[in-house]
Amino acid sequence: MKKKMISLLLACSMLGTLITGCGSAEPATSDGGAATQQTTETAKADTPDNASSDEQITLTMMFSGVATEGDFETEVLPKLVKEKFPNIDLEVTKLPDDQYYTALKTKLASGECPDIILVQPKYAGSNSVIELAKAGYLLDVSDLEFLDKAGDAAKEAFSYDGKVYGVAQGVSILGTYYNKKMFEDNNLTVPKTWDEFLNCCEVLKNAGIQPIVMGDKDAYVMQFGLYQIAANEIYPQNGNYDDQLRTGETHFTDEGTWDKVLSMYGELYEKGYVIDSSLGLGAAQSIQMFVDGEAAMTFDGSFNASALCAAGAVDFERGYFPLPAVNGDTYASMAPGGGPAVYSGTKHPDEVKAILNYWFDGESPVYQAFASTGNVLITYGYGADQNDPMYDEFMSLYNQGKAWYWCNQAWPAGTENEMEALFGSMIGGQGTTVPDITNGMQNKLEELLDQ
Amino acid sequence: MRKKLRGASLVMPDRMYLFVVPALLLFLVFWVYPVLQMFFYSVTNFNGIDYNYDFVGIKNFRRILEDGSLVNATKNTLIYTVVNVLCTNVLGLVLALLLNLSIKAKGLFRTICYIPALFSAIVVGFIWSYVYMPGSGMISSVMDTIGLDGSSFNLIGNFKWALYGIIIVDIWKNVGTTMIIYLAGLQTIDESLVEAGKIDGASEWELIRKIKLPLISATITINVVLSIIGGLKAFDYAFIMTNGGPGKSTQTLMFVIFQTAFNNQMMGKASAYSVVSFVLIIAITIGMLIFMNKREVEL
Repeated sequence: MKKKMISLLLACSMLGTLITGCGSAEPATSDGGAATQQTTETAKADTPDNASSDEQITLTMMFSGVATEGDFETEVLPKLVKEKFPNIDLEVTKLPDDQYYTALKTKLASGECPDIILVQPKYAGSNSVIELAKAGYLLDVSDLEFLDKAGDAAKEAFSYDGKVYGVAQGVSILGTYYNKKMFEDNNLTVPKTWDEFLNCCEVLKNAGIQPIVMGDKDAYVMQFGLYQIAANEIYPQNGNYDDQLRTGETHFTDEGTWDKVLSMYGELYEKGYVIDSSLGLGAAQSIQMFVDGEAAMTFDGSFNASALCAAGAVDFERGYFPLPAVNGDTYASMAPGGGPAVYSGTKHPDEVKAILNYWFDGESPVYQAFASTGNVLITYGYGADQNDPMYDEFMSLYNQGKAWYWCNQAWPAGTENEMEALFGSMIGGQGTTVPDITNGMQNKLEELLDQ
Repeated sequence: MRKKLRGASLVMPDRMYLFVVPALLLFLVFWVYPVLQMFFYSVTNFNGIDYNYDFVGIKNFRRILEDGSLVNATKNTLIYTVVNVLCTNVLGLVLALLLNLSIKAKGLFRTICYIPALFSAIVVGFIWSYVYMPGSGMISSVMDTIGLDGSSFNLIGNFKWALYGIIIVDIWKNVGTTMIIYLAGLQTIDESLVEAGKIDGASEWELIRKIKLPLISATITINVVLSIIGGLKAFDYAFIMTNGGPGKSTQTLMFVIFQTAFNNQMMGKASAYSVVSFVLIIAITIGMLIFMNKREVEL
């Protein structure tokens, strides 16, 4: 009984401290919360449309990706914005891709979308600029000052109905990483035509080296090779090929278009140039094999450069070239990267535009920090001359206007999944033929456009 | 006075129903309403973003039938379920019977069996994709050391076997949970019945078959139904390990729904898939429950 009493007392005193502990902390937090709420309220009430307000305002921004330490978007950007615009608090959230799409959809549907969101160029992904602009969710930002610096390709990729709705963040490349040492050992140079490329593969294979490794278990990597070939063989013949797919003037089944691309890429598998077990390898695993010197080449993007250039089991110098065209007139597969857009329902359109103007002006501290992340290739302003020399060939093609966007950016989302699944069946020996793939792509396209 | 008596229940006075309201509201808003909405969306071409959608009648249903994706996904899901149910339960039961014997370090073995269940599916899927990795994964390395050709091992990249590859992972992860439930069932068996059986000269197999299994039939029902539901909603490993591939060989119903809704942005078509799976899962579960309950009585 006595024991029970003591434990009861103990429990009471613990509860007591707990409550007092909470008590002292509570007013502070609730006060703070009320204060911020009040300021935003007043900001709303006093300055409905006024751009230059001294009132404290909070802007929100949502991006996809995983925040790392010293992350540009979540840490550096808000700090630098605060320095330039002391009255603006920028709150940035970063979500993994799939969660981002879901969150974005929910927030758009409920009308509580952040002021700045990440959108993809043209029709790419669930957050494509054209789909969102069409639904009226985006603010026309054609009047941003720096857009001309970014170039027509960037502007065009984020336009809908003649107006610009988003900002390109640099440019990303699809190309062929190769092991310079293996090429030198076998007296090979960077191929200039498709036949030379096939010859390279043949020589390497005969020398007992696996020419190409791909992680086709993550089927999206198939795009890395296919789009390079398409940039050479389809778009130079018809620059409006993808737009015409939507109007029915062109079809995936047209002769000399995707049938050609798919058979060229399929040949690499048929002849054993791409590793046999590719369908069982993941993207990260294939990168590791390239880095460990187990294969001479891999198709990948500039966005994976740090992983591909990381130290592996053996040391060697990496090179990067665009897959050459059959006729030697090579184009690069380069896409303006997804970037920020402004939600049409934002309460502070002018402040948001001011931030974007500052961010992308080519010289501000924000731009410098952005350029230094190395996640994308910079095409103008600070850091444009500091891109890795590995990219020089691509950059010169880009500047000559000899670069095409990534095919799926112009397709309704989902077309590429069908292509990957069917191409996987073909290289997996399931009896799928090239016409089966182009027919499947065309059917999928029509179905998706019919939505 | 008379009025009050007629309507009143001593156990559940009328005003008590008020207390059900909050729970009921939550259930209606977050469960019943979305499910009803799914039925509604399945006859529209809603894309998940734009609320200006049209009614398209049964077009979505016709499409998923015509392009063969429903048949393929259903087939994969059913294979997944059958293999999953059989293997998980047989293995779980065998493990439970073994670990119910009086052996040394019983607790340790039970813990070891249960460990996989503690990891999240993402982690398990990721680890196993390295186990299965062709050329230098765990299995091919082991094959190499015992003199087999490890480089030829490519389970996940094989159209025929990839589905079974991911089922194995699911079984590995869930067999511990199943075992624990069986163990709990086995421990409710009255020892005197087993002893009586022994005195009557029953062999070990007969003891299991005639005494233990009938007595844990309720546990079997629970486990089988749980693993059926688990199998029918298989998604994790198809998504993490194979992404539905190679080709479409590991696309399960849930995977197709996810891909259609969130990659292809065809909420309407995805809802049509959902309606079909909804009906299928309910039919199978009810069928199994009725069947198992009958068996329980018979045993």
